[in-house]
Amino acid sequence: MSSAAAEHNGSPALAVEGLVAGYGGVVALDGVSISAGTAAITAVLGANGAGKTTLLRAVSGMIRPRRGRVLLGGTDLAGRSPEQMVRAGVAHVPEGQGVIPELTVEENLRIGMMSWPSGRGRAPAGSAGPRSSRAERAAALDEAYGRFRPLADRRRKLAATLSGGERQMLVIARALLSRPHVLLLDEPSLGLAPRIMAQVMDLVVRLSREQGLTIVLVEQNARSALAIADHGVVLNLGRVVASADAQTLAADIALRHHYLGF
Amino acid sequence: MPVVEFLQFTLSGVVFGMIYAAIALSLVLIWRGTRLLNYAQGGMAMFTTYVAIEVIYHTGSYWAGFVVALAAGVVLGAVCQLTVIRPTMNKPPLNAVIVTIGLLILLEGLAGIFFGGQYRSFPAAFSITGLKVGTTPLGVSRFDVFVVAAVLVTTLALAAAFRYTSVGLRMRASAFNATIARLSGIRVARMLTIGWALAGLLGALAGVLVSPSTFLYPNSMDAIFVFGFTAAVIGGLDSPVGAVVGGLLLGIALSYVAGYLGSKGSELTSLVALGILVVVLMIRPDGLFSATKVRRV
Amino acid sequence: MTMGTLPRRLGVAVVMAVIVWFLSVKLNTFRDYQIAEVATEVTAVAGLTVLTGLSGQISLGNGAFMAIGGYTTALLLMHLNWPFFAALVASGAVAVAAGAIVGVAAARLRGPYLAGATLMLGVALPSVAYAWPGVFGGDQGLNVAFTTPAFLGATFPLTRWQAWVSTAVALVTLVLLANLCYSRIGRNWRAVRDDEVAAALDGVNVAVTRILAFVVSAGCAGLAGSLLAIVTSLVAPGAFTITLSISLLTAAVIGGLGSLPGALWGSLVIVLVPTYVTDVATSHGLSSSVGSNIPIAAYGVVLILVMLIFPQGIQGGLRRLLTAFTGPDPKTRTRHDASAAHVTPSADDASASQHEKEGTS
Repeated sequence: MSSAAAEHNGSPALAVEGLVAGYGGVVALDGVSISAGTAAITAVLGANGAGKTTLLRAVSGMIRPRRGRVLLGGTDLAGRSPEQMVRAGVAHVPEGQGVIPELTVEENLRIGMMSWPSGRGRAPAGSAGPRSSRAERAAALDEAYGRFRPLADRRRKLAATLSGGERQMLVIARALLSRPHVLLLDEPSLGLAPRIMAQVMDLVVRLSREQGLTIVLVEQNARSALAIADHGVVLNLGRVVASADAQTLAADIALRHHYLGF
Repeated sequence: MPVVEFLQFTLSGVVFGMIYAAIALSLVLIWRGTRLLNYAQGGMAMFTTYVAIEVIYHTGSYWAGFVVALAAGVVLGAVCQLTVIRPTMNKPPLNAVIVTIGLLILLEGLAGIFFGGQYRSFPAAFSITGLKVGTTPLGVSRFDVFVVAAVLVTTLALAAAFRYTSVGLRMRASAFNATIARLSGIRVARMLTIGWALAGLLGALAGVLVSPSTFLYPNSMDAIFVFGFTAAVIGGLDSPVGAVVGGLLLGIALSYVAGYLGSKGSELTSLVALGILVVVLMIRPDGLFSATKVRRV
Repeated sequence: MTMGTLPRRLGVAVVMAVIVWFLSVKLNTFRDYQIAEVATEVTAVAGLTVLTGLSGQISLGNGAFMAIGGYTTALLLMHLNWPFFAALVASGAVAVAAGAIVGVAAARLRGPYLAGATLMLGVALPSVAYAWPGVFGGDQGLNVAFTTPAFLGATFPLTRWQAWVSTAVALVTLVLLANLCYSRIGRNWRAVRDDEVAAALDGVNVAVTRILAFVVSAGCAGLAGSLLAIVTSLVAPGAFTITLSISLLTAAVIGGLGSLPGALWGSLVIVLVPTYVTDVATSHGLSSSVGSNIPIAAYGVVLILVMLIFPQGIQGGLRRLLTAFTGPDPKTRTRHDASAAHVTPSADDASASQHEKEGTS
């Protein structure tokens, strides 16, 4: 379901209602409800252990929620597997090792297209219709290389040889190749030098503005996240303690001190 | 002449080495995909070879049996993974060990029930008379050459498939990082089944290639399995290249022992294999071709 | 019911001794023989379950240590006329020494590499008997003369005495192992199993701890081999094949890895189930090739089913039944409950195997 259709519906591209999820005896999300505006950047913030990563995992299908709904354009998809969620248009870039270092850059990118229906590519919004699979995939790869120059230069090299910033670029490029409507980013700037981090954040902003992607951004670095986000949600111990537009949150000094560390 | 003798032992060592390599490869395939050791691999190979001998008996065609054995290997591998292995995936790893051991015992019992327990001879695809260069016997036959060629061709075909096809990429991605693979839409569960099916194919190949020498009976593949496993460990369980090298190393070394030490040598083969294993693992605890792992802290 | 205190362990051992004494008197000769078999297996399986379950090192070759113990006993009885209990202790000592050698060689090996090395050990060691037939009796093996002591009288059945001796050894072994498991050594074993690096940082000597576990399990296997020698009156290579080693591991896992009661359940399974299924098959008068193979196939099915239905083994299954009746007890949470916390419940998720430590498989 495209985001245009979702807007038509009046429902946000992604929403969770009363989500309860955890691991074994531990409850990490305790009734969380969040709505991510279509084509907007929603930052999910909070201390370690607040439940931010669990939230993304529950949405992308990595873990099965115990209760609650995961609504994509109004349809409840809670409990679906990751393979199904990515085909529904949700791309999750998990924190840490997102690249497969034993494969080449090009192979890593090709993996991003594995969710396409076989025989036909998923046509991007506004295209004339499905073309032959191989041409469609080649075109998509070219587009990715066009947008991410450093990847083009290293396409046959093993991903293990990429720097931290280049790996992050690869991981996002791969996620984009699955033609998602919703992009879940878990700590994309983790371990990156400040200059590279700024480039990644720039990229995230461009994706939302130019491509109309709905982005959910989990970040430890609340300051930089709020600088680019439209809306912010603060989690603490598995519950939502604040949900407002980014400027309001950034201006609330007491909140920032208490939950966000700055 | 000593040089000729050396050549003969070496060549016949290569032949058996390729058999061990085939088993080792099937174990590596399953290990890389599912992080399990399939103790039933020899038993599965034995079972598919029995299927082959029945087909050969009823149709009179060796090649029909050969093809059916390979197809049966694919099916048996997939069926085993889907029925008994999949439920062990999220449980303690030793459970899967016992399940594969149970599978091995079950297959040996079923083979006895369906096909009878007596020794059966298995035909060779080509002549087994020794080849000669001039008047010097080489110690290997046309069939032996076929054995080496068959394993080599199959190995190279699999390597090419992994490297160049989309399915191969999906399988590699699933083996390296199942989480990323699933998040990219790869049906990892299906890839695991394919891995077991291919391993079954390799095992079936090893079975039909070695059975002319060993006769066929429910326990006939047990020793081959042990040496194949040893070859895989020597080479490093993550490395297909290691499996082949390990197999050849073991095959050739054991051939020298049996050849030069006569009857005493045949009794000592397993001790020699143990010795080689110990030496290799002392130097490289994860096998010869293992990537050195980063030590935490 | 924990075995935390020595009086409790001794109490349980005494109770078990009484039960076995009672059974051995009431049941027939064949059952006495089975009691002896089970006790022999328990002695070996208990050592293995401690090695693999508590210290996390898989061994597919403990049959080799049983062979060492058995042949030592046979040779001492035959050539030096030692009394049995002296030979028993000596066999344990020789096996302990062998275990130390193997433990040192294997100290750096993990997971499947350790499995492969011990598998080859289990295969290779019996072939020593073939290679030096003069000493070891070759294929035929060595006969072991074992008689009831004079004070029991002339009519005391040999099988009952064998059952008593093996049960006594088994119970002593179990009590000693329980003492070890609850001691600092046992805690070190578990620490090294769960996280080597953390244990090392904590001051535990990882290599010594691992070698000690090997030594203990080899000693138990050596004692069991000695018992096997007097129970079957024979030591031959055919009694110590790789099948024996594998059945020891099977018993340990089926019973419940790492648990001493589990060693008992597992030993009962591997001794009684094949016999039972064979009885059922022969009583139906099936033709020989089918009839002799049905028990084999059925045994394989039993192993698979028990593992699939009781992933924590029989002891784990019993514990689950117990908590179903009495409510959860925080003390009985096993390590596996904790590690399962990070795993996705879906059946086709292979990522768990990626994240778990390199498991023994």
